[in-house]
Amino acid sequence: MATTTATITLSSTDLLSDELALTTTATLTNAGTATGVTQTTGLARRTTSAASAAAIQAVNLYRAGDYTADGANKVYIKNTSTTVAEFFTVHIDQEQIGRLYAGDWMFMPWVATSGTKAVFTVTIAATWAAGDTWEFDGVTLVAANSTVADIAAQIDGLNYPNWITTYVATEATIIFTARYASSASEVVYATADGTLNTASNGTANISSAAVGSKSESDITIRPSVHTDMTYETILIHQ
Amino acid sequence: MATTTAAVTLTSDLLSDNMSVSASTTCMKAGTTADGLDQMEYGYVDLPTGDEFDLVGATPTAGKASKLYLKNHSTDETLFIAITQNSQAIGKLFAGDWMFIPADFHDAAGDIAITANGGTNRICYALFHEGIALVAS
Repeated sequence: MATTTATITLSSTDLLSDELALTTTATLTNAGTATGVTQTTGLARRTTSAASAAAIQAVNLYRAGDYTADGANKVYIKNTSTTVAEFFTVHIDQEQIGRLYAGDWMFMPWVATSGTKAVFTVTIAATWAAGDTWEFDGVTLVAANSTVADIAAQIDGLNYPNWITTYVATEATIIFTARYASSASEVVYATADGTLNTASNGTANISSAAVGSKSESDITIRPSVHTDMTYETILIHQ
Repeated sequence: MATTTAAVTLTSDLLSDNMSVSASTTCMKAGTTADGLDQMEYGYVDLPTGDEFDLVGATPTAGKASKLYLKNHSTDETLFIAITQNSQAIGKLFAGDWMFIPADFHDAAGDIAITANGGTNRICYALFHEGIALVAS
């Protein structure tokens, strides 16, 4: 079993009348067990920058949907800046946790409560012709022939910015699943957005669909300045 | 000025190469290197199950560089405390786990709240801050 430990030392000789010297070590285990955590992102380092202050954007560090909800996940973040006034503002979902000023670090548990991903199924049917098109999520399919299973395979073979596809060979249906958990108001939603241009009576109907719900605990950080700021982070998780 | 240092070391043999991450920071007031955090609250309490409690009784000044340390001293691995801020779930500290975060306390709703689960949890906390709004008696 892997052993992962986190040790903190808090010390001060002049904050109190007596010396402050607190050291503790936690051996990180899965939720409710003595089994050590088994996964980590490894240590990452990234520099943020933007063209101007108005163009500063938050960075999504960890998407809850990618990790085990309610697990004993732990997040470490450090602001490596040496410029005193520069800070990263840390949020979980919409809630501001605090600011990491130059040199500051944090280590916290993370609940990773995710939402659900939208999903829908498209069925290719009726009479298609080579050259017919179907456009969705900014991607256009041009039918290579009139066989619906081939067209479905073509649709599956394309790359969509916000969706991934599942397809079984020789069938005429493709399942689209959103890449990220999100509510219908926040992503390009599917049911009415496919645009079909057919020379005959081909169809690409949505045969079933489920609206997603937004993630509730993505971790984001926002730099205070648009010039270069660098952070380090690691996620240790179940 | 008071000088308080917070240091962390993360070690693991999870990866092909051993991981050893260390960092140390001097807890300063917001936006300065000239003046350290000079006020502190410290507590060691048993937290019964059932209700959610604000960890800190009075609200520290918002938008500052407050730092919060919290440890679950329970030894039963099935016990944990759930931590929320403004109803936003942050995470769970299982027996032996600790956390150290910047705490913004952006307004009255920004208090850190904790709930014990599985039984009475013994916790220890320390808040380093720049000032608090005392509650009138």
